[in-house]
Amino acid sequence: MKKDPKEIKGKIVDHRRVTPEYYVLKIQAPEIALSARPGQFIMVRLDDLHDPLLRRPFSFSRILPSKKKPGGGLAEGGFEVCYQVVGRGTARMTRLRKGERVDILGPLGRGFWREEGVERQLLIGGGIGIAPLLPWAEELAGKKGSAKGGAKEIRVEILLGGKNSDRVLGVREIKKLGLEPQIATEDGSLGLPGMVTDLLERELLSKSHKSTAIYACGPMPMLARVAQVAEQFDVPCQVLLESRMACGVGACLGCAVKIRAEGKDQMEPTSAPQGGLCGSEEEPEKSLREEMAVRISGAPFFRYGRVCKEGPVFRAQEILWE
Amino acid sequence: MKSRNDDLALQISLGPLKLKNPVLAASGTFGYGEEYAPLIPLRKLGAIVTKGLSLEPRKGNPPPRLAETPAGMLNAIGLENVGLEAFLSEKLPRLRKLGCPVLVNIFGSTIEDYAEMARRLADVEGISGLEINISCPNLKAGGSLFAADPKAVFQVTTRIRQATASFMMVKLSPNVADIGKIAQAAEEGGADAVSLINTLVGLAIDVRTRMPILGNITGGLSGPAIKPVGLAMVWKVAQAVKVPVVGLGGIATAEDALEYLIAGATAVQVGCAHFFDPRAPLKIIDGISKYLKAHSLNGISSLIGSLKTK
Repeated sequence: MKKDPKEIKGKIVDHRRVTPEYYVLKIQAPEIALSARPGQFIMVRLDDLHDPLLRRPFSFSRILPSKKKPGGGLAEGGFEVCYQVVGRGTARMTRLRKGERVDILGPLGRGFWREEGVERQLLIGGGIGIAPLLPWAEELAGKKGSAKGGAKEIRVEILLGGKNSDRVLGVREIKKLGLEPQIATEDGSLGLPGMVTDLLERELLSKSHKSTAIYACGPMPMLARVAQVAEQFDVPCQVLLESRMACGVGACLGCAVKIRAEGKDQMEPTSAPQGGLCGSEEEPEKSLREEMAVRISGAPFFRYGRVCKEGPVFRAQEILWE
Repeated sequence: MKSRNDDLALQISLGPLKLKNPVLAASGTFGYGEEYAPLIPLRKLGAIVTKGLSLEPRKGNPPPRLAETPAGMLNAIGLENVGLEAFLSEKLPRLRKLGCPVLVNIFGSTIEDYAEMARRLADVEGISGLEINISCPNLKAGGSLFAADPKAVFQVTTRIRQATASFMMVKLSPNVADIGKIAQAAEEGGADAVSLINTLVGLAIDVRTRMPILGNITGGLSGPAIKPVGLAMVWKVAQAVKVPVVGLGGIATAEDALEYLIAGATAVQVGCAHFFDPRAPLKIIDGISKYLKAHSLNGISSLIGSLKTK
């Protein structure tokens, strides 16, 4: 199967507001659904006007497998993305109608991969962060049933969090998979009052944590805390990161995230100062001094990775959390 | 039906460098070509200009590195790149297989950096020439920009010309008082062509936090928003120098490219349009071809600098 990204026109087959905050867009795009993996994403171009200019990245919140037609070609397949109105692009997106076609680039990036040798797969979503975990839950829960003789049963558990009940997403979809999510809200309007990371700690403390793997998506502070807890309990942890992006294919280097670098700094700064993509002009000595300051203060070494290419799913310990 | 004549009509020369068509991929927007190889047939492009390269690898700026602005975007990537050695050992072998001429964009913080890079990239198989990014501070001159100082531009191009016989195109910054004088300095120093414009310095602010959106505070503005600025500068420079001018800045459609050719550009570069429309260069090549046909023109040359000003 060819896994290269494609640029195609997808047909909107459904578009609905699922909570006061969140929308779900369902797009028919068999060529993309064919190779789409949970944790991967697409870049959507809303129209060919130049404002807003850039495509917007969205993770798959559901993958609807393509079927091969008897006479050749693909039928039916597609995907859903879940989004929240955060700016001009997503505001414009709410006006898309069923039947319209949108320009899709995808599937892109590295998705989730299965942590082997664990008995419990623990998925943690904060707010809209649950969306990309839904197809992963579906895949993991599906595999659970097919575990053959001798293999230990693998449990899939899901922890959901949000500011309030309106921001807790995916409960119905998770129940459809035969799973019962645990929920925490900051205002206590649904489930346990508190943070989803409190639920995580409770889970890891109460049961044998040695054979657990964590998959998480949500706001950066939440992910940083999840990473900390995972490290403390020494369990494997994958995180799906969000970032501003321009190209989505690894060319523009816009979606940089700090990646821990081993021992010595992998990318020594040169005496050349900071500049833009094509070299915007900046005061030289300042940045040089800053680089030196980082070295003298003994801050950890790092390099920049691309969220769109090396990610968006990373091992939590790869990231230099700040 | 596309004929051999149509292909011939698109050919251009940038001094000693012959290209099959006038559409190049701009540095920093196209990675090392391989990123876009799954999406478009790269052999159809006039040339690829690779991501700005320095002697040593560079980490780049802290994020956020991007901010969308009206019909444009700001970037402050910070010239992150793999460095000369990794470029030669890892990137170039793959670039050679793309079937498209490669121009290597280089930058340094001293004239000797530039000369050293030019020397080490001279006569390397698979490299058709250099694009010189002079939008960098000159550390020897106390950090004043190469790009804004005609004397420094003359010195750096002269020194590069001594170090290599390769095709040399100097990329000019719009953030200068008189871009015509800078272009002339590059020409006198031995440049085979000039390309313009690089990005315009810009700032975007989050009013809720009163903080800049970019980690680097300011960044470089690109996109359709800057096209009129680029056109005016290309028009000015084309009258100031004899060497070919390569126009860039906000080109997203064939019509944009045609405007640049009419203003005086011999070729154009597509930049951030790749991000929202990866097929933009192909559409532009096709659109130029159709325009030539529709206007019964047998080559690009009859279009270059054909602006009618009465």
